[in-house]
Amino acid sequence: MKKIYLHPLPIRIWHWINAGSFLILIVTGLQIRYRELLGLMKFQVAVDIHNIFGFILIFNFFIWLIFYIFTGKIKIYIPPLNLKKFVMGCINQARYYGYGIFMGEENPHHSSPDNKFNPMQQMAYLSIMLLLIPLQLVSGLLLWDIKQFAGWINLAGGIKIVDTIHVFLFLFFTSFLFVHVYLATLGHTATAHIKAMFTGYEEIEGHGH
Amino acid sequence: MFEETAESNAGKGTLLVVLGPIFGILYVVLLPLIGLMTLLLALPEYANAKKPPVLESADMCMACHSTRDMAKIFRNNEKLSVFVNADDFKNTVHSFLSCTDCHQKISMESHPGRAFDSRSAFALDASSACRTCHSDTQLQAKPNHAYLANKTNGPPCAECHGAHTVKRISEWKPALADNQFCLTCHKQKISKTLNNGEKLSLLIDPSHLKASVHNRHTCSDCHSDFSRKSHPMKKFENSRDHSIKVSEACRKCHSDKHTAVRESIHSKMISEGNLKAPVCTDCHGFHTVGPKATYDTMSGVPCRKCHEEIFKVYSKSVHGMAKANGQHKAPLCSSCHFAHEIKVTAMTEKIKGACLGCHKEAEALHKKWLPNSELHLSVVACAACHSPNSGKGIYLRLYDQATGKPFTEEQILKLLGTNYEGLSLRMNTHGDGINSGELWNIVKQLNEKGADAKVTFLGRMDVSKGSEAHQLSVKKNAVKECENCHSSNSAFFKSVTVAVVKADGRLTRYKANPEVLGSMVSLLSLKQFYVLGSTRLKILDWIGILMVFGGMSVPIAHITLRILTSPIREAKRLNGLRKEGKR
Repeated sequence: MKKIYLHPLPIRIWHWINAGSFLILIVTGLQIRYRELLGLMKFQVAVDIHNIFGFILIFNFFIWLIFYIFTGKIKIYIPPLNLKKFVMGCINQARYYGYGIFMGEENPHHSSPDNKFNPMQQMAYLSIMLLLIPLQLVSGLLLWDIKQFAGWINLAGGIKIVDTIHVFLFLFFTSFLFVHVYLATLGHTATAHIKAMFTGYEEIEGHGH
Repeated sequence: MFEETAESNAGKGTLLVVLGPIFGILYVVLLPLIGLMTLLLALPEYANAKKPPVLESADMCMACHSTRDMAKIFRNNEKLSVFVNADDFKNTVHSFLSCTDCHQKISMESHPGRAFDSRSAFALDASSACRTCHSDTQLQAKPNHAYLANKTNGPPCAECHGAHTVKRISEWKPALADNQFCLTCHKQKISKTLNNGEKLSLLIDPSHLKASVHNRHTCSDCHSDFSRKSHPMKKFENSRDHSIKVSEACRKCHSDKHTAVRESIHSKMISEGNLKAPVCTDCHGFHTVGPKATYDTMSGVPCRKCHEEIFKVYSKSVHGMAKANGQHKAPLCSSCHFAHEIKVTAMTEKIKGACLGCHKEAEALHKKWLPNSELHLSVVACAACHSPNSGKGIYLRLYDQATGKPFTEEQILKLLGTNYEGLSLRMNTHGDGINSGELWNIVKQLNEKGADAKVTFLGRMDVSKGSEAHQLSVKKNAVKECENCHSSNSAFFKSVTVAVVKADGRLTRYKANPEVLGSMVSLLSLKQFYVLGSTRLKILDWIGILMVFGGMSVPIAHITLRILTSPIREAKRLNGLRKEGKR
């Protein structure tokens, strides 16, 4: 069994702050939106917590951004510029999840610090980290003080539109979370990837990579 | 015979010589003396001839009527002294008459004790005697008399002319001070018939006039076309017409107030032909205008005359009760609506300004506990929280997004090229409340037609009736829980009204279907109105359910397939082990 240092400390801190904040924001978000269905806490408590963790998430995003930009590791998110290679990579990966995994085939992608994500992950996380998360953070920030950000809200088309974007992304992230957690259990053991997210070291079955 | 004649002639001549001078002296001295004496004797007769035998026949009457102690008591307990001042009477135009000339039912032989209901009934009866001498023709020569002569309720002659002190009007009226001159007639119960048959009382109570702030003015200061010499007979359609026209007089001195009133909703209503709207005299009275403080009391505030329902609500409110308890600073109608430039305050920022005008600390206090307090204070009417038992509703108003100002009915009509009825039809095509499609149509049409205007709906939370805005309660009763609004169960979102505002602040309310708040079709028409938890798009809820279940189904399906295919992998593993064993 070989161990590779896949997740540097700043990324592990960022990840778990993100995870906790996401869960809290989802719960408080549901409480804010569905007051008549949920009675976990008072509306104002839910809003206050939501605001606090919203800002934590914004701050956290910059940990991620600064770390990846300054270390140059952002490239692990960038899919190969060779389109054919990228498409084939995606097909291979999709084939693995949809067929190979059941047949006991090996995962075509082998993570390394320089090549952490498979092409499907690259595509998903690049759009999430550089498009959807910023969109969610910005829409959340605008909703936090709509009086102060009235100009930006008007530019975005109005408060109802900003809110619809925010809620739609919230629903997307919530549903994505199930997939994300499930995929995290698909290491060589169910907890391998999860452990690695704590220790930084991913155990790799020795195949001489 | 001739000598005898001569002798006798000589004797006659001597007599003539003696008597001649005597007669001459008599002629020269006595005749003027006699004349003078005769004249002197005749003069007193002459002087007395002008005077009738004063009260000679009245001596008997005056035996009693010269005492000051006697009085007649009428059935209504009014008293009238029966004293007659003989000296005064001697100086009247009637001094040549005897008592019985007027008091014909009373004579030396008979003095019936006649009973009257009241002093005025007596005066009326007594005055009928005047008509014995003063014929209708004579009375009708003067317009005032002609007017009064045939009136059943006209004042008795004695009211103006006095009883035993009767004088010609021309002898005393010109000497009267200005107001007294007019009051000679106008303190009588006189009235005027207006074109529509209404009676307009022309009686002016001098005591009211004296108590009014205008007590130093003369009548003609206001009634400028009336004077001692001029009394035009004016025609009015009805009493409203009279009030409206007469109120113009106030402008002479109160031009600032007049200008303010012209800005008011009342003035606008009158100009539109709604004559029920009040003018100066409706609030201040005609001749009873009081000082400003008169109108600043619960009992004196004139607004209640028309707005009684709202006043009742107000008087039970925290403000009304404070005012009634003598807290002079507590607001009354005019504190929020202004006294002369009376404004409709419904759903405008002005009313908030009125509240904050006194509650200067309110914004800071709200900031301490209310998140986004500035936003809340701009979209939630004060009364929505501070009138706890009121009905609630959402009011959607059209705004010009560029200027942030309400888009008025006048602007909308101009832009759509329609009239009020046309707008009503467009607003509510099916008559069952505006739905999201109709709402979108309005926004679309306005933005299509007006290239410059960016018209959008803004929502505001308010009480459902104007009167409810007046039932403000003490602070501790105010709504403080966020859930009151931030829940789709909140009463606010069960009632939605599209409010179209005229430039003067008046509202036309069109009922809307509450579904508009959560409809995807309203995403653009209500793009600027969103209340957390309350106006969520229904379709987004369903999309959310689908997405979350979709997300959950991926692992479930994958795990299921993994379980189902585990024999394949097991076989493959065993196969592999076998291969390794063989090796």
